[in-house]
Amino acid sequence: MGQDAGDVARRLLTGEIAAGARAIRWLDDRDPRGPALLAAVYPHTGRAQIVGITGPPGAGKSTLTDMLVAEWRSRGMRVAVLAVDPSSPFTGGAILGDRVRMARHALDPGVFIRSLGTRGQAGGLSRSTHDAALVFDAMGYDIVVVETVGVGQDEIDVVNLAHTTIIVAVPGLGDEIQAVKAGIMEAGDIFVVNKADRDGYDATRRQMEMMLHLRAQSRPAQPETPVLRSVAARGEGGAEIVEAIAAHRTRLEGAGDFARRNGLRARAQVINLVKDALTARALELGGDAIFDAVDARRIDPHGAAEHLLRQLDERIIAA
Amino acid sequence: MNKRPLRVLLAKLGMDTHTVGVTIIGHALREAGMEVIFTGLKQTPEMVCAAAVQEDVDVVGISTLSAGHTRSLPRLARLLREAGAEDKLLVAGGVIPEEDRAVLEEAGVDRIFTMGSDTRDIVAYLDQWWAERQAEEAA
Repeated sequence: MGQDAGDVARRLLTGEIAAGARAIRWLDDRDPRGPALLAAVYPHTGRAQIVGITGPPGAGKSTLTDMLVAEWRSRGMRVAVLAVDPSSPFTGGAILGDRVRMARHALDPGVFIRSLGTRGQAGGLSRSTHDAALVFDAMGYDIVVVETVGVGQDEIDVVNLAHTTIIVAVPGLGDEIQAVKAGIMEAGDIFVVNKADRDGYDATRRQMEMMLHLRAQSRPAQPETPVLRSVAARGEGGAEIVEAIAAHRTRLEGAGDFARRNGLRARAQVINLVKDALTARALELGGDAIFDAVDARRIDPHGAAEHLLRQLDERIIAA
Repeated sequence: MNKRPLRVLLAKLGMDTHTVGVTIIGHALREAGMEVIFTGLKQTPEMVCAAAVQEDVDVVGISTLSAGHTRSLPRLARLLREAGAEDKLLVAGGVIPEEDRAVLEEAGVDRIFTMGSDTRDIVAYLDQWWAERQAEEAA
């Protein structure tokens, strides 16, 4: 395996799996070769539809993803999957088990599945997920599925990444109050009630429709949000969901929103990168002394931040 | 937290459905700060090889408790070489008779842990291998 960023970039642009896999490893590990690699592939991005799949633990996100992958493949589309699972905040280790439910696609050259640990990032994704999606986009996959960790009430970073966000719910998990609290209800483009053969399906569906009805009243310009049913473990409901995802893309493109979402995502990423870099530089300037001063109550946290920023300003002016 | 965690694929080949061992190993490796990717049961060597490449793991660990490993493991080692992934460490564990050891090592299995192995020894072995690998890359 060539270890040069330019070489790996060239090979992944031809669709070579091992090169794409190595690129994602670099981005995930924050290897210094990552930025050069992204710079080389970025002009080739912007075509793939990024589909976020999120919902509570046990909703069947991986099984649903498996079913959708099969459906897309039957339509001749190439699909990449980023499956995110939580890393331990204590050891950094992780059990990444989403592949288990997608084993039937293991030998399909039109399917690339990559597991990622969150590696300390809150919000349901890893820091590298955006960049990994760009790699798959550059490799020419038509669809990039981003399956988040099982989320609770406000881990909705995937909304900022995906063109189309699917919220998966199951009967009997949450009561009305939970659904109201959940920020994820405000974010979805398509809602799916999975395990729809279970008791409580009608009640869950009614709750969702009520929420969406209220949401539509406050945002009348938005088109109606579909609520679909599936029994992913039996392969039921895949065609309707895939069609709704395609319809959502068509609608985004018609309104100019497909490119706009790409632009917003890139903008947010630029801001985050600048934030990270400035933070690192400011902390480097301040050293441990500033934290010692905070510990000793000689300065408060806001004052310490002000102090670091002033130092940073002075250094920029001096340069 | 380790900036660059070791990534380990754990798999079972063939019709062997004894999962207790591989599950315990997986949790031990997670506790040691590694990223552990499970592929599920009834995998063919081709499936394991494809997953190892896609996941860009450093280590491929195969648990075997119902024979067949003298055919499937050499086949996996060959597939990994053909895929240009021979730099990945190939480790096998489980019920592996002593007389099979030479065949497997000859075929490219880097290390064999037989029944009764202590998870701490497995972790220590992988940690040391990873430290050496990173030192090599840095050099």
